[in-house]
Amino acid sequence: MADAFSSLSRRGLFHAGVALGTAALLPGAAQAAEAAPAAGTLSLKGKTIAISVAGTDHFFDLKAYQAQVETVKELGGTPIGLDAGRSDKALVSQLQTLVTQKPDAVIQTLGTLTVVDPWLKKLRQAGIPVFSVDLPSANVINTATSDNFSLGAQLALQLVSDINGRGNIVAFNGFSGVPVCEIRYTQLRTVLKYYPEAKIIQPELRDVIPNTVQDAYAQITALLAKYPEPGSIAAIWSAWDIPQLGATQALIAAGRTEIRTYGVDGTPEVLALVKDPKAPAGAVAAQQPSVIGRTAVLNVARYFAGETNLPSQTFVPAIIANKANAGEVQRQLGQA
Amino acid sequence: MPPRAVPDRVAIERGSKPLFQRALLRRTGVRFGGERSSALTVLAAPDLAAPPVSRIARAIRVTAGLRGAGGLLLILAVLAVFAVRAPSFLDPANLGLILSQSAVLGILSLGLTLVLITGGTDVIAGGIDLSLAGTLGLSAAVFAGLNQAGFGDPACAAAALGTGLAVGLVNAGAILLLRIPPLLATLAVMNICAGLELVVTENSTIPAASPLIDALGGTGPLDIPVLGYLLLALALGLAALLRVTPLGLRAEAVGGHPAAARAAGIATGRYVAGSYIASGLLGGVAGIVSVAFLNGATGGSSEMLLPVVATAFLGFMVSRRFVPTITGTLLATLFLGSLTNGFQLLHVSTYWVNGIEGALILAVVGAGRVRGRAA
Repeated sequence: MADAFSSLSRRGLFHAGVALGTAALLPGAAQAAEAAPAAGTLSLKGKTIAISVAGTDHFFDLKAYQAQVETVKELGGTPIGLDAGRSDKALVSQLQTLVTQKPDAVIQTLGTLTVVDPWLKKLRQAGIPVFSVDLPSANVINTATSDNFSLGAQLALQLVSDINGRGNIVAFNGFSGVPVCEIRYTQLRTVLKYYPEAKIIQPELRDVIPNTVQDAYAQITALLAKYPEPGSIAAIWSAWDIPQLGATQALIAAGRTEIRTYGVDGTPEVLALVKDPKAPAGAVAAQQPSVIGRTAVLNVARYFAGETNLPSQTFVPAIIANKANAGEVQRQLGQA
Repeated sequence: MPPRAVPDRVAIERGSKPLFQRALLRRTGVRFGGERSSALTVLAAPDLAAPPVSRIARAIRVTAGLRGAGGLLLILAVLAVFAVRAPSFLDPANLGLILSQSAVLGILSLGLTLVLITGGTDVIAGGIDLSLAGTLGLSAAVFAGLNQAGFGDPACAAAALGTGLAVGLVNAGAILLLRIPPLLATLAVMNICAGLELVVTENSTIPAASPLIDALGGTGPLDIPVLGYLLLALALGLAALLRVTPLGLRAEAVGGHPAAARAAGIATGRYVAGSYIASGLLGGVAGIVSVAFLNGATGGSSEMLLPVVATAFLGFMVSRRFVPTITGTLLATLFLGSLTNGFQLLHVSTYWVNGIEGALILAVVGAGRVRGRAA
């Protein structure tokens, strides 16, 4: 995807604002979404960069991973692609092996913080610079990520606006150990604090990996049987959009399309459901996984070029896609 | 039960009594599918039994030795390639890593090996413990849950081991008292464990920190992680128990020919029950090890099931007699661990590794069988 842009347009877009340190969310008609920032004179020639990822079975992880591998190659470096396949044991093993393998740098994408952080620390202590994607930690030099504080608040505001500030909300909260999910959830709670008539149904649901879609479908179908009255549930929220996909499909199957679903990532299937006026997908916060992945590698190259004062987080803009602008967002992300 | 004669290794191997001849033939029939017919022919003509059986037994021993050698040679060749292409592969620290990364899989596979030895290796009717991965997940969850609730290490460890023990007892009860085939009984218990694990963890990660976790997660002498030493100690301890005491031979007799073993005075039920209980306990140990490895209890333990079964069966290929053994299982575990580690050192993308690993396992098994037929 990144290669579809010439380096000239990349540079232009880079200067247009998809860059380091911008915490801004793009407004509805944003420019330059999912366009790759330019590498400029940066180089990773002769460097071996380990690209360690929790899994590549979802749209976000896969795009972020592919962009990292491609960018390392583009800059003349050697990527070591390590996909833990959603197994924490495999993830810890591959990070452990990296301590003895001593690559020039490690980029860790996602993961449960308590599981990976001890090993990120060991890598750091072994003198290996550690960077991350979507994983803020004291042991990484820089994490490339969406601004989950802003997008979490924006998504929550879209939700309460769509339900007029009242009603029961179903929340999937199975990954509170993943920092970015925790931030989005905390933002939802913060917004809801000011809408006392909107309540999260207890107990909250737990989304799972794998079989996320089927599991969310089954859980929502069961919950709809428990709340058969139209209007008894106003919205369904999840910290990413694969549970949202299952939930939306369950609502369509049960004919309960008065309920709206909300999530984060911008997986193409979900974005298409948000665009579909008949589907009950209310909104999705669309991220730019390829740009995030590329940004992480560029930061590694900047570090090797002597920029040691990198910010701890590099924010890549995200867009809230709702019923009104989903088609436009699809075009910007190259999904149309 | 009054004390009765117990078979010794010499008696079984020489086939000096008709009973043990039958036991041997039955076992060879089961384990060497192709030779079953010749074994049955001998059974049908008991007059010829004594001299030919010893010749057959010798031939089988030679064949089995070669089969093991074929697999072993290929394993050594793969490791040699790693050592040449990635010199850091043989660093003591890296070998220690392989040991510690293999600890959870290895301990579970040791448990399954005990069940296979005692229950027999027939996939459908023999011994099998599918609940091991579930036991791992549940006991890890119990340990981490109690740790979070403020309990000390002794209570957490006792509860985790107790969980494993309880699972083993349920398996043994279902198989021996209710007469449910092990495949189905342990499958059901696996589901119970997975369900209870979800109840304890609510499907989220439970972090854990304690002196025991720190100690297990630390590094011992020679830069080798403590978990690596633990795996070696457990394997060597079990191997010694089975080789030095009569337990091993009797367990093998129970697995090979239960009727013959019973007739020889072995309380077969106790051995079978014991194997499931030991397997459950090892599942509990693996739970604690997993908490130490991951600094908490995380989901996904069910994914260990197939690797555990594959490891235990791959262990046959590197055993001299083509049977489940502790050392065979340990070697198979370390081989699989070396593959993952070696490919990462060679910068091979993970996307390739699963396929290559599968092909190599097939090759190791195949090498064993081809060598066996050629002999």
